[in-house]
Amino acid sequence: MIQFEGVTKTYQSGKQEIHALNGIDLTVETGEIFGVIGFSGAGKSSLIRTVNLLERPTNGRVKIHGKDISTLTSKEIRTTRKDIGMIFQHFNLLNSKTVFHNVAMPLILAKTPKNKIKDQVKNLLDFVGLADQAEKYPDQLSGGQKQRIGIARALATNPSVLLCDEATSALDPQTTQSILDLLRKINREYSITILLITHEMGVIREICDKVAVLEAGKVIEQGSVFDVFTNPQQPTTQRFVRSVMNDELPETLLQQIQNAGSNHSIYRIQFTGTSVGRPLISQISREFSLDLNVLFGNITELQGMPYGNLIVEFIGDRMEIDRALAAIRKSDATVEEVTNHAS
Amino acid sequence: MLVNNEQILEALWETVYMTGVSFAFSLLIGFPLGILLVVTRRGHLLQNEAIFKVLNIVINIFRSVPFIILMVAIIPLTRLIVGTSIGTSAAIVPLVFYAGPYIARLIENSLLEVDKGVIEAAQAMGASPAQIIFRFLIPEALSSLVLALTIAIVGLIGASAMAGAIGGGGLGDLAITYGYQRFDTLVMVLTVAILVVLVQGVQSFGNILSKRVRRS
Repeated sequence: MIQFEGVTKTYQSGKQEIHALNGIDLTVETGEIFGVIGFSGAGKSSLIRTVNLLERPTNGRVKIHGKDISTLTSKEIRTTRKDIGMIFQHFNLLNSKTVFHNVAMPLILAKTPKNKIKDQVKNLLDFVGLADQAEKYPDQLSGGQKQRIGIARALATNPSVLLCDEATSALDPQTTQSILDLLRKINREYSITILLITHEMGVIREICDKVAVLEAGKVIEQGSVFDVFTNPQQPTTQRFVRSVMNDELPETLLQQIQNAGSNHSIYRIQFTGTSVGRPLISQISREFSLDLNVLFGNITELQGMPYGNLIVEFIGDRMEIDRALAAIRKSDATVEEVTNHAS
Repeated sequence: MLVNNEQILEALWETVYMTGVSFAFSLLIGFPLGILLVVTRRGHLLQNEAIFKVLNIVINIFRSVPFIILMVAIIPLTRLIVGTSIGTSAAIVPLVFYAGPYIARLIENSLLEVDKGVIEAAQAMGASPAQIIFRFLIPEALSSLVLALTIAIVGLIGASAMAGAIGGGGLGDLAITYGYQRFDTLVMVLTVAILVVLVQGVQSFGNILSKRVRRS
């Protein structure tokens, strides 16, 4: 478990003070994948670095498994760091050393016996799928392979926490997917707590259980990935959600429908769980004397749950529309009217 | 020609000797100083403003004195160390004072080239400062270090020729006393040719070695 309690970080840049973190309160539960998202300069990078004290918080506390790490001596910090793996956007491998040596490094530092290192590195390389690349050098590998080496290296000391610093930001979409799959596998098989920072909402949707949105050094919104994606509150959060699930209708279309008169209205219907499978639209149009025009539709998976998002134009008598809406609300779908500047 | 082959060979040996011994001592002094210059700077492993500033200034002072003046200026010290201020061994003292700070700067430059991310990764693994220096910084910079030290050796060969002025011996001495002062152009050309070959050889060796240690 990682707890941030009122964490602030202030940098001195000449005579100017830069407040990278402005009082962060967050709890990352053991075994979960927690994502922190924000635009660049939001403070993500400072935040993740306070966990292994690559950055010292100016104020506040970071607790790992209940222990306040800011009180540790430098030797104790080094021991603690061995329990916290970290992977980086630019991998940060030793270019002068082989893949084997790179992965073995944390074990060499810990003065592990040689034959034990050999076995362990072999297992790690097997796990990340690079058993046949042990004698190669990092510059002979692709970005995705380098990140796998980074992951193997981070896991070498059997950490209970893995920090991912924009781990997929330098990778193409396909490679990103495979690295995310690997991270999920690590989380499930070793029950390692993962804290990741990213600016890609797709990464959050793909593997995170919980998400916090960071803006100007503050957490502006947090919750389960499902809740934040289906019901984002803050404008920044809405922008992030829209970046992967864009359901914005063209302005001209909205105008057209609004001009068409009061018996035309647009509603967003959100389905979750089992209601996704129901033929709701055709039922409604059969039951009520309404014409339904589907403007947008999308079904994705959030935290392993199907989630449908439908934007529908209702055409018909106002009373009839209201009755239809009441009927929809009775099933476990939610309805809301879409006005101009649909979110 | 006013000199025989034996004299030339002896001069060559003196040059090699002066360069070699002074390089060894300069490295001994310059390498740790170079590392200190890197790790004591702000935001680095062992940040220490006082050490960094003092070191920085002292090295700059030595670096700014022209070798020919340095050589004369530290004669009392040279006498104290080797007992005389004349001869090949006496020339080594100013050469070390000249090349030590130079090497410190070269090492500093090479080590600063190492990607900050690698150091961050090392810290994240729980490496101690000593482990970071010897297991991350130096291996990652090794190829660049070899090239930097090659530059230092070539610089020392040049400086050792100047040491001829205080009777240091070597090819420079030969070129000045015979080639210049006695107008023996052949000796001049010959010594310069030997120096050219020497420098070419050192540089080529440095290049090959640098490539080889890029991956260790």
